[in-house]
Amino acid sequence: MGVGDVIAEFGGVYVSSLLSTWLMTIICFLGGLALGVLVTVMRVSPIKPLRVVGDFYVQLFRNIPTISLLVIFVYALPYLGLLLDYRTCLIACIILVVSSFASENFMSGINAIGVGQIEAARSVGLSFVQIVRLIVIPQALRTTVLPMTNLLIATLLTTAIGSQVPLTPPELTGMVNYVNSRSVAGISAFVVSAICYAGTALVIGYLGNKLDKRVRIVR
Amino acid sequence: MAADNTAIIQMHHVDKHYGELHVLQDINLDVQKGEVVVLIGPSGSGKSTLCRTINRLETIDSGEILFEGKPLPEEGKELAAYRAEIGMVFQSFNLFAHKSILDNVTLGPREVLGTPKAEAEMEAMELLARVGVAEQAHKVPAQLSGGQQQRVAIARSLAMHPKAMLFDEPTSALDPEMINEVLEVMVELAQEGMTMVVVTHEMSFARRVSNRVVFMADGQIMEEGTPDEFFDHPKTERAKDFLDSIRGH
Repeated sequence: MGVGDVIAEFGGVYVSSLLSTWLMTIICFLGGLALGVLVTVMRVSPIKPLRVVGDFYVQLFRNIPTISLLVIFVYALPYLGLLLDYRTCLIACIILVVSSFASENFMSGINAIGVGQIEAARSVGLSFVQIVRLIVIPQALRTTVLPMTNLLIATLLTTAIGSQVPLTPPELTGMVNYVNSRSVAGISAFVVSAICYAGTALVIGYLGNKLDKRVRIVR
Repeated sequence: MAADNTAIIQMHHVDKHYGELHVLQDINLDVQKGEVVVLIGPSGSGKSTLCRTINRLETIDSGEILFEGKPLPEEGKELAAYRAEIGMVFQSFNLFAHKSILDNVTLGPREVLGTPKAEAEMEAMELLARVGVAEQAHKVPAQLSGGQQQRVAIARSLAMHPKAMLFDEPTSALDPEMINEVLEVMVELAQEGMTMVVVTHEMSFARRVSNRVVFMADGQIMEEGTPDEFFDHPKTERAKDFLDSIRGH
C-alpha cells in the first residue's frame, strides 16, 4: 500500500487522530504552563519549604522518562484505589513532565530579569505577589518564547507515547498500529503520521519565531 | 531650605556583617526633615550598604533604624507600605524593561496607592515633563539614554510622593556628558525641600546643595560636617587622603 492508498482508505480516521494529537498537545502544554508557573512561583518564593518542594518537584519529573511515568499511572495507581481512564493518565503524565521543563524555562527567564528591577519594584512598595504578577511573570513569559516553542514541539512529540495505551480515536503514532492491524500498509502508515508531526512542528516553530520577535524585550 | 529639628531618619548603633566582613560598624546618623545628606568615601566603605538599609533592601544585624520615630517594619505589607514612602534611585536605573516609560511611572501609584489610571497618567506626564523626558513617554527604557533613564527613575520615585529619597550612586553609571542633566534634577529636588540621602562621588553636587557631608571608610563614619568644613578642613587623615586621591594629586 502506498501513501496515497493509506490516505484514501484511512483519511477520515487520520484526520480525527491528528485532531486528537493536537487537542492533547494543547491541553498538556497549557496545563504544563499553568502548573509550571505555579511551581516556579514556589521556587522563587521567600518561604523556604515551598522552594524546596518546588525544586524537588522539578528534579523528580524532569528526570523520569514520560513513558515510565505512564506505566506507573496506568498500572500502579489502581492499586492505590485511583482508577483513571487511559487518556486522563496520559495527559496527567505529560503535564507533570512538561510543567517541570516549563518551570526550568521560566527560571532562566527570571534570572535574566536581574535583581535590580526587583529591588526597584520593592522600593516602589509593591508586594511579593504584585512583583511576581506585574514584573516577573510578564518578563519571564516574553523572554521564554523560543524555549517554550521548543517545549511545545516536544509536547507534541511526547503525545506519541499514547500509542502504548488504547485510545479512541488513537493519536498519530497509535494510528500506525491501527492502520497496520487492518491492512498491510507497512512504512506508508508511518510516513503519513510523520508528515502530520513534521508539518505541525514547522508551523509551531514558525509562529514561535514570529511571536518572539513581537514580544521580545529590548535590553 | 532651613531644616527643622525633627529627625525623620534615625540610625542608632547599627551594625552589619557580610560573613567575616564588618560592613557597618556602630553607625549613628540622624537626618532632619528637608536635609540633604551626602555620603562619600572610598569604594567598599559601606556607604551604599548604609543607604540601602534605610529602606531595608539590606537588613541589619543589630542597632535600630527609625523613620518618623518608628522602627522600620521587618517584612510583609507594613514593609511594602513603608517602602512606598521612601523613594529610591539606583546606580543602574532599574527601570521595568517590559513597560513603557509612562507605565514605569504610573505602576506604583496605580498598584500601590490605587490612583485611577487617567489621574496617574496625568501626573506621570507632569513629572516626566519636569525631568525633561515627556516626549519619550511611549518608548521603552532600552530606547533611552542612560541620563534619560535615570531621570525617568527619579520621576518614578516622585510619583509615589515620597517623604524622603535615597540616591545610591545615581550618576556613577552615566557617561560624563549625561551626569549634569541628572544632577540638575536632584539639585531642584533639594531646593524644593526634599529630604535626601545621596551616595555620590560628585563633589560639586555635595558642595552646592548638601547640608551635611558624611565621610565613611571601612564601615565606619569617620567624620561629618558641612560641605565647607569637610572639603576645606577635613579632620581625619583618611578623609584628607581620600580628598587628595579624588582631586588627582
